[in-house]
Amino acid sequence: MRPTPLGIVAALALIPVLAGCFVSGTGDPGAPAGSGGRLRVALAVPPVQALSPYSNDATVLSKLSVAEGLTALGEDGAAAPALAKSWSRKDTTTWVFELREAKFHDGTEVTAESVVNALDHAGAAKTKPRVLSDVTLTAKAEDADTVTISTKTADPVLPFRLASPALGIFSAKAYADDGTVSPIGAGTGPFRITNLTGKTKATLDRFEDYWGGKAEASGIDVTWIADGAARANGLRAGEVDIAEWIPTAQAKLLDTDTRHEVPSVRTDSLVLNTAGGVFADASLRAAAREAVDGSALVDSVFGGYADPAQGLFGPAVPWAADKRVEVSGRATAATTDQVKSKTQGTTLRLATYTNRAELPEIATVLQQQLEKAGFTVQQDVREYTQMEADLLAGEYDALVFSRVTLLDTGDAVAYLTSDFSSTGVYNIARVKDSAVDQAITSAAEEGDTAQRQQKIMRAEAEVLRTDAVVPLVHEKVVQGIGADVEGVRLDPRERSLIGLDTRLK
Amino acid sequence: MISTKSTGADARPPRWRAGAGRVAAGTTLLTAVALLPWLSATDPALTVLRARSADQDPTPAQLAAVREQLGLDEGPFTHLGHWLGGLSRGDAGTSWVSGEPVLPQVTSAFAVSTTLMLGALVVTIAVAALISARTLCLGSRQALPPGRGGTGAAFLAALPKFLLASLLATVFGVWLGWFPSSGWEGPSSMVLPALALGVPSGAMIGGLLDHSLPATFHEPWARTWHAGGFSSGHVARSALRGALAGVLPQLLPTVVALVGGAVAVEKIFNIPGLGRLALEAAIAQDLPPLQTATLALALLGVAAGLLIQAMRHVLLGPALRDGGLTASHLPALRPRRSTRLVAGLCALTLLTLVVAGLLRDPLHVDTAARLLPPSAAHPLGTDALGRDLLARLGHGALRTAGLALGVTTVSIVTGLLLGMAGRVTAGLTEVMSTLPAVLIGLLTTAVTGPSVWGAAGAVCLIGWTPYAAQAAALLEQERASGHILASVSCGAGPTHLLRHHLLPAVLPAVLRNALLRLPTTVLVLASLGFLGLGEQPPTPEWGRLLAENQPYLELAPWTVLGAAGALVLLSVLAMSGTAVGRRKARGATTR
Repeated sequence: MRPTPLGIVAALALIPVLAGCFVSGTGDPGAPAGSGGRLRVALAVPPVQALSPYSNDATVLSKLSVAEGLTALGEDGAAAPALAKSWSRKDTTTWVFELREAKFHDGTEVTAESVVNALDHAGAAKTKPRVLSDVTLTAKAEDADTVTISTKTADPVLPFRLASPALGIFSAKAYADDGTVSPIGAGTGPFRITNLTGKTKATLDRFEDYWGGKAEASGIDVTWIADGAARANGLRAGEVDIAEWIPTAQAKLLDTDTRHEVPSVRTDSLVLNTAGGVFADASLRAAAREAVDGSALVDSVFGGYADPAQGLFGPAVPWAADKRVEVSGRATAATTDQVKSKTQGTTLRLATYTNRAELPEIATVLQQQLEKAGFTVQQDVREYTQMEADLLAGEYDALVFSRVTLLDTGDAVAYLTSDFSSTGVYNIARVKDSAVDQAITSAAEEGDTAQRQQKIMRAEAEVLRTDAVVPLVHEKVVQGIGADVEGVRLDPRERSLIGLDTRLK
Repeated sequence: MISTKSTGADARPPRWRAGAGRVAAGTTLLTAVALLPWLSATDPALTVLRARSADQDPTPAQLAAVREQLGLDEGPFTHLGHWLGGLSRGDAGTSWVSGEPVLPQVTSAFAVSTTLMLGALVVTIAVAALISARTLCLGSRQALPPGRGGTGAAFLAALPKFLLASLLATVFGVWLGWFPSSGWEGPSSMVLPALALGVPSGAMIGGLLDHSLPATFHEPWARTWHAGGFSSGHVARSALRGALAGVLPQLLPTVVALVGGAVAVEKIFNIPGLGRLALEAAIAQDLPPLQTATLALALLGVAAGLLIQAMRHVLLGPALRDGGLTASHLPALRPRRSTRLVAGLCALTLLTLVVAGLLRDPLHVDTAARLLPPSAAHPLGTDALGRDLLARLGHGALRTAGLALGVTTVSIVTGLLLGMAGRVTAGLTEVMSTLPAVLIGLLTTAVTGPSVWGAAGAVCLIGWTPYAAQAAALLEQERASGHILASVSCGAGPTHLLRHHLLPAVLPAVLRNALLRLPTTVLVLASLGFLGLGEQPPTPEWGRLLAENQPYLELAPWTVLGAAGALVLLSVLAMSGTAVGRRKARGATTR
């Protein structure tokens, strides 16, 4: 690199001209970032709608403890009090929530009116948040700190639903006339957003009037770094204190005391198209299931950061293992010769997408496993949005798919319904099976938590019986956390990251 | 096409023609972009919904809501009309995804990218200067050895920018901590990305300059000046002016194009530049920012083109207009023995690699043999899936080199034809030069759907710009030289001129340019894979080998070393091989 000094000198000479073109954070420019107990955090997914809770950005608001809903999800997956200190079910469709005394970041009080206003806006959003897709809420202020919420049909998981980041409660000033929501300085959490710079940076300060006490860290400096290797580099170079989602290829480069693995609710599976093509034949699906070995992926593709699949729901769903139902009544797998004669050399179109680096590698391993069982395989690997329409239209025989099994309700039924019920909008496997539908419906209607979990596992067994989906691995997330940081929340649902007690040692 | 009039002293083509060419090219491009969602089979409501929220269920009701909100049913031309109308009031509309005004986003991204490009330009100039310094120094004393290699330039130009970027970020950002490993917060965060972008570009520009300088020094005036006792500095300056005028247009597709075309480096260094903005908008089919970015890039291309044209005119002076240039032709140089040696060595190594690789299985996955370092069993090691890298390299060689050469040939022919068409196509060249390959890739997918040949087609669509710019500049200079005037006055027709004077003057330089760009072509071809263009995995291909192993650069450097080395070998071989080959061909005809 002989030209280096020249380049540097020349670049330095340009400083005065170019000083205006860099992304400057706000606050005191003299104080180095990270000083005074401020945390420097690198997040992976840049904001798409200026942190609107009705978009992808909602999780940022909960990860950084900016927004809260009426409820929150506890570590055991049950609904816990948040802005509502308690609640009760008046009848099958009506719930009463008692609010606690809390303040918004702009100094106004959290009242029943403001909660109703926030929920009404969520319901009226032009594209409804996913969490409201199968329910219609009507909120009413009974008095200053009591809200009743009624649903059109019985909704046993309403308290879970209200924990969704999309249903965070913001002060009146957050809601603009054109339907947009800006959470800046309008949330209720222990941290307050003071500034958002495009899709690159955000500054948060501690909210001194938080109802649950003061946060340990005095503020958070957020940088969005979409590239996983760059996030890992940032942590290794000491430029950030916390870097989320370190790619498995980079994880081994981090010091052991800075990499923390968390089982994730994300399951990678092979989805087979049951409605047409090669896998309309149940015995061929069974042959694919027997041919595919997800455990081979754990140490290779995932470098150890995954668990072999036990079903649709992995170790991150704590109750799943104890309640798992044995799968019975599966079709008999075709032998290699039968596969060859049945497919007649028809090419199996195996799709996957590039957005998650591991998926194309999985597809290549599976291709070899399937070819060994007699299939002829052709891969189609593209960017997700480039192929989603084709996927939903059933253009492929098989898809290597990475899916979050507990969606924003924190309840597994939503995932089962959209992916495997005959009316599901995300039913890529095109399952139309009355037993599966029945099992999912019965789980959806169950109000008792333990019973509901049991019924969910029964539905899982029904889905697996059809061989429409072959679970491969349960992913683990590697969070990069600097050695001098403590109290980071390692959440399988990837909903929280920084809390009250997160701080620099 | 080529009129004898345009070679004469009064041959300035009317300015309006060049202007009309620019407007036509810009309009066509913007219309094509505006039609993207309607051309592609993918519903923009779905891509916009997906960009807003990854978890959102694509129910018909949700899609209808998005469609209504964006007014997608009004059709493309209403949208284009609205957008153009808004532009005249300084309003570029709001993003379909974020709902925020587009202009501030695009302006800031444009400023960031332009700053980065200027940084890369500085590095480019420095590297180009270093590469051509020796030739300039010796040439000005008429002491050039009778042969040149140019292998150093070929070596540097073959370095993939994203690999260089990863390497620099790791070494200088993480290990040494001299510069920030990512971000865009001050001049210090500019150094590494500027180096990653500028070193290969500089090698390319330097390689071309180094190639045209000897010809300039071979001109009679240079020898006369030298004999007449002019200082070597004086000779060098004058020679540089002539050589630079021919090379300057290459800055447009090589450096200015980095404003929109540095996506990979922008990602690695987390720079909020225009390349990433355009890519995200294109993937989400978010038209307002995409159109605005395209317009900004097209305007930049035209502005840079005009600036470069003006600089050339200053460099060449009135001689260009008055037909007073001397012809600069390559002296028949004998390639140095070392060049032949290098060519032979490269050929031998590549051949060994390919033959050894072809004997092995490139697709066999062995998850137990993950990321093994080179050994007797796996001479180049294994990749993350335990596949033998030597086998993948060998099996990918023919496909990679064949496709890249094919695309390059088509590009050269297109470039020459458009370059000869004169100033009318200058606008098209300028507009297309700055266009990111991904955008053309998306437009190609929209029309053809995912296909094996799609990547080649897309690259052919933009790959011609460097050659057209170069051919146009060289032809202009050639036409203004005395011997063409003489030929014309002796009654030479256009075909004769073309065959005996113009093409021989242009072709060697264009060829060298193409060879220097060969590795870039390989990488661009592979970079369109995520759109479904090109061969699907697991087919081995060098560009894919580099891209899929890039994450393992630090953990297992051998995974990229093989492919990167092979690319360098190919490039050096092509360069030195043609030097040897041309000498042989010349020898045969003069004998």
